[in-house]
Amino acid sequence: MMNMADAKPLAGAGKSPVQKAPRPSRPISPRMVDIAVQVAVVAALAGIWEFGARFGALNPFLLPPLSVVLGRIWEDLIAGTVPVDLGLTLYRALTGFAIGAVIGIPTGILMARSALVRWFFDPLVSIGFPMPKIAFLPIFILWFDIYDTSKIIMVAFSCFFPVVAATCAGCSSLDKWPIWSARSFGAKERELLWEVYLPMAMPQILTGLQVALPTGMITTIVTEMLMGGRGVGGAMIMAGRFADSVGVFAGIVQIIILGFVVVKSLEIVRRRLLIWHPESRK
Amino acid sequence: MSVTHLAPPPRSRAHAASSISISDVSHTYGARTAGGMLALDGINLDIGDGEFHCLLGPSGCGKSTLLYLIGGFIPVQAGMISTSAGPVTAPGPDRSIVFQNFALFPWKTVKDNVLYGLKKAGFNAAEREQRARHYIDMVHLTGFENAYPSQLSGGMQQRAAIARTLAVDPGILLMDEPFGALDAQTRRVMQEELRTIWRDSRKTVVFVTHDVQEAVFLADRISIMSARPGRIQHVIDVDLPKERGEEILENREFIGLSEHIWRLVREQAVAATRGAH
Repeated sequence: MMNMADAKPLAGAGKSPVQKAPRPSRPISPRMVDIAVQVAVVAALAGIWEFGARFGALNPFLLPPLSVVLGRIWEDLIAGTVPVDLGLTLYRALTGFAIGAVIGIPTGILMARSALVRWFFDPLVSIGFPMPKIAFLPIFILWFDIYDTSKIIMVAFSCFFPVVAATCAGCSSLDKWPIWSARSFGAKERELLWEVYLPMAMPQILTGLQVALPTGMITTIVTEMLMGGRGVGGAMIMAGRFADSVGVFAGIVQIIILGFVVVKSLEIVRRRLLIWHPESRK
Repeated sequence: MSVTHLAPPPRSRAHAASSISISDVSHTYGARTAGGMLALDGINLDIGDGEFHCLLGPSGCGKSTLLYLIGGFIPVQAGMISTSAGPVTAPGPDRSIVFQNFALFPWKTVKDNVLYGLKKAGFNAAEREQRARHYIDMVHLTGFENAYPSQLSGGMQQRAAIARTLAVDPGILLMDEPFGALDAQTRRVMQEELRTIWRDSRKTVVFVTHDVQEAVFLADRISIMSARPGRIQHVIDVDLPKERGEEILENREFIGLSEHIWRLVREQAVAATRGAH
């Protein structure tokens, strides 16, 4: 899966490996057309939702009109609950993601470089990667608390596996020539790690992070739903219990926006970090 | 790491030119398994201080393997390779290499690629800056310092790789078919430039190629290697003027020597094709 995601930009870039000058700017670029069409599709769906619910084609209790949902978000925003819930959810998701990445990237590199580390972690990752990580939640609640700690550990746990798998795959298939170059210039084994392996594996590591981040968001919401308390997931499950469909949809819309912003931000980080890579010059 | 590498004298040569001595070197790929393949068989060769030596032979004759052994990239299994600095056991900055596929760091700009080796060699910041500018200018890449390798053509990437290698001033320059990926015109220009650089810096160069004309144009001496397993079949002195430009291609001796060597190489190439069936 990660390889496919990575191969796509590379294959596209292969068509024009040598691009000396930026494309001359045209009044309407294909990219702008793409964005316009995508925005139009989202707007059309939102329109169908709004008017479908409003004119009785859909049951307004089961599917309240979008404007009502947005109105609720606005009210809660002013009341101050939305910033608290969104902030908490974001804090848990990003902290867990960061912990998962900080542990996962070095583990993945070490797995690729050292047979000993690989022997130990390979079976664990093989079992852990396809496993539904959320199954560990009851145990984490017992071990840790019912507040932030267990939620963040749950998120970190779910982010760890995609990061480790991608990093290890990225570092195992490195082109030997830049490594040989660095060694011939006198780089020591420890320096190679930071100076060569890490930047070379960066495209695949970032792909791993891009898989882990939405996974972390999902885990955060599910964890909050199961454990209750503040946070978008907790607020939604409360709204559900009170048959407040508007409240549930308000949560869904918030999650959509939050997820979009977070995932896009990581894409921007990727473009910054891989400025040297042919994929950045499409 | 050697002491000379850590503290090179400023603006002087970091590494003196060095001779290379190869005695009884054999190499088997997959030696630990039953189906091991003998790539080099009993190689004996002495390359002098400041000599331009070409290893010439058909594809798969082990000439690159021999170069990687000299570079210390693959361990010597049998026999002994030593330079003036002592036996070769690992890669080191006294023997810099230019690979066939450039092997630039794709995440670094042209300038940062050149600076990397200089930093490792222990040059101070002002010197690094000055040397990087000098060698980038030498390979005509001024104006492309901040370009990434993926933005450059193959020829430009190879020139960047050559600048990166020359900048650290290695005593021994190892080149593995460095012009193989270039078009004919660029190739000719690069050959002339390399010859000039070598003449001015007096480095010891070991240059791997399968192109007879390239070998005769560049080398002082040529080792013709046999088809697998690689052995040195002939060592030929190239008695041509030190100054070699475009005009040498019409020189009678040049043509005669090229034809002679071509016949010797052809025998090996034919043997290699027969061996493959």
